[in-house]
Amino acid sequence: MDSSNDEALDIIVTNVVATFRTRCHLNLRTIALEGTNVIYKPEVGKVLMKLRKPMITASIWSSGKIICTGATSEDESKLGARRLARSLQKLGFKVRFSDYKVVNVLAVCSMPFAVHLIDFTKNNRPIASYEPELHPAATYRIKNLKATVQVFSTGSLTVTGPNVQNVATAVEQVYPLLFECQKPLCN
Amino acid sequence: AALLSRPAVALALPRVQCPNHPDALLVEDYRAGDMICPECGLVVGDRVIDVGSEWRTFTNEKAVKDPSRVGDAQNPLLNGGDLTTMISKGTGAASFDEFGNSKYQNRRTMSSSDRAMLNAFKEITTMADRINLPRNIIDRTNNLFKQVYEQKSLKGRANDAIASACLYIACRQEGVPRTFKEICAVSRISKKEIGRCFKLILKALETSVDLITTGDFMSRFCSNLGLPKQVQMAATFIARKAVELDLVPGRSPISVAAAAIYMASQASAEKKTQKEIGDIAGVADVTIRQSYRLIYPRAADLFPPDFKFDTPVDKLPQL
Repeated sequence: MDSSNDEALDIIVTNVVATFRTRCHLNLRTIALEGTNVIYKPEVGKVLMKLRKPMITASIWSSGKIICTGATSEDESKLGARRLARSLQKLGFKVRFSDYKVVNVLAVCSMPFAVHLIDFTKNNRPIASYEPELHPAATYRIKNLKATVQVFSTGSLTVTGPNVQNVATAVEQVYPLLFECQKPLCN
Repeated sequence: AALLSRPAVALALPRVQCPNHPDALLVEDYRAGDMICPECGLVVGDRVIDVGSEWRTFTNEKAVKDPSRVGDAQNPLLNGGDLTTMISKGTGAASFDEFGNSKYQNRRTMSSSDRAMLNAFKEITTMADRINLPRNIIDRTNNLFKQVYEQKSLKGRANDAIASACLYIACRQEGVPRTFKEICAVSRISKKEIGRCFKLILKALETSVDLITTGDFMSRFCSNLGLPKQVQMAATFIARKAVELDLVPGRSPISVAAAAIYMASQASAEKKTQKEIGDIAGVADVTIRQSYRLIYPRAADLFPPDFKFDTPVDKLPQL
């Protein structure tokens, strides 16, 4: 029964955040002056470089550490990161692509039913928390997967986790709990 | 601490014993200041200091100061046992220096490790006083703060923020929740920071709180607006019914309560504007408007059956 629900639910990955190192010091002023599509933020000490082809924004620090956000899949993120390293190489830095790691994956999913958040929170007391004054969604944190699921009363979910596999598992885990607390369709 | 007037037990060293009966427990005769062996009657120790009270006190109706008690009331739950001695500011001419400065000007800092905690307690009492919270909530808040402070997991956060969040949690735990905005009004900390500290404290103390319902706020909001009991009961009924029928999914209970109060007051003789209600509840009047629009279609079902309408249901304002 669960596997058939898997196929029905499509989990759309909207954001993948990855970090990597260039193993060399980067001169931010040079990048800011000569790079294309860059924004220099001297007060923080980083340069934002936006790529068009995989739609990616990267924050580049002078230590050589780069955080790459905005990709829609893990492969795209890696591709964008490599492309970014290549463009830095073209600017003249001795870039070595190393320590690539996907840090966070954000996905959205929609249940075919609306969820009664108050019942959901009551049934899953310590793991789920719901503060309507602070945020309209109930947050469900799965400790062993290190994933957080935010459930809205319309039935949409946003899931964040360290990789796509965990995100999928989190949705599978949370589905039966949500199924119990769904709102009947007579309304 | 009150001076005790029961026979004092001998200290571990030096221990007096009757030479003939080393096992016998000595009896203290405090009037003569002797320690007497009960077996043979030998006076073993003499010139024992009397620890009874220094003067006799007769029961006084006023009894504001009891001369045999010294010091402030102890706060054993919250402090580390305050037994230090402080030098107070002197009275009379002899306590001043040549230049007019007072001698012993530095009142020695007592228990400097708990100074921050005492400061926080003072702040909590001030905040609670502004919204007239009873003593039991203040005590609960102090206890929560002490637990959080001793755990040290939130050490980097401002003490005021932690105090405000503890106050919020205490009100919730006592069954009389206050909205974040109400706590904000008596604290200098922003709602965002109080919310963050609130979540951190729940994680640190591993407790959870009950969810807020619309009924928790009705009595306070209605009395602040000056609405009669009938209207308050009607508003409570409307809000509860609206949540049961799920007419307002995803809306904060405060907004639903405010909309219910608006509907009930508009149907009665005491009509309040959305702005007034929004002011009291801390809700924007557009928010009330939104929630009102959601409950308006089923207005006829939401009113309690025995409600006396000043304005009938079909004449209710439609925004």
